[in-house]
Amino acid sequence: MTLDLPEKTKDELRELRELSRQAEDGDLEARVKLQRRVKAASPEIVAEASNLAALSETPMVKFVSAGDALMREALPKRLALMRAEIAGENPTPLEILLSERIVSCWLLVQVVEALAAQQIYSRYKKEKTTLFSLSFQRYVLKWQESASSRYLAAIKDLARVRKLQTNTSSVQVNTQINVIRP
Amino acid sequence: MPWEKREGRGRYYTRTRRVDGRRVREYIGGGVPGEIAAFSDEHKRRVREETAAHLRERREELEALAAPVACLEEAAEILAHATLVAAGYHRHRGNWRLYRDA
Repeated sequence: MTLDLPEKTKDELRELRELSRQAEDGDLEARVKLQRRVKAASPEIVAEASNLAALSETPMVKFVSAGDALMREALPKRLALMRAEIAGENPTPLEILLSERIVSCWLLVQVVEALAAQQIYSRYKKEKTTLFSLSFQRYVLKWQESASSRYLAAIKDLARVRKLQTNTSSVQVNTQINVIRP
Repeated sequence: MPWEKREGRGRYYTRTRRVDGRRVREYIGGGVPGEIAAFSDEHKRRVREETAAHLRERREELEALAAPVACLEEAAEILAHATLVAAGYHRHRGNWRLYRDA
């Protein structure tokens, strides 16, 4: 089963995307409506996305730790520390979401690295040498590049939002977000 | 079929491979050489199939793990974009700029 956002959240995201497009085209009415929608929808989107991140974290941690109990125990704690450190003090809902994204992308990089390492290890141990297929290596390499660039893009986005938000205090929304951790 | 029957000569083991895009059939023979070649080919085929199945599983596993991250990325991008546009920013040649009236 693939984890996904609820339909209601997806609808809200579609609406935000459409309003953003209209506002960028110069529609002032759409911009006013967008301001209201962002304020109203942000906490729910952030909460749902954070829940999704939390639920997807467990299988990724299991994959990366590959049976290592200590790693399986320590990695979620490291992720929580990363999350808190990146979000900083008094983060806005958007900063929380962008921090979640950075942490998830970092974990995805680790997943792909673990997969590549497994292939190299199987080759080294000469257990299943045929598993080291060239086409699969190319596939893993493509994923490594993609995951790294997505991770860097996530960091860049948070830095950009922080830089631009310093000039615009009006987009700050103080909301309590309850994230369900598995 | 890799085993062929010839009138009065028993069974022959044959192996088909591609040479410059053409199918070339190699006649190995009957008896022990044929049995050895057949066993070897069967073993190679089984390993190939097991490997392909294993790699397919790994691919599916990786894609299933990455799917929620892609959802999260999309949500974050849309919300960040909407927040900036709502705050009066617009993109100009890839850079974000504040509208004069914002």
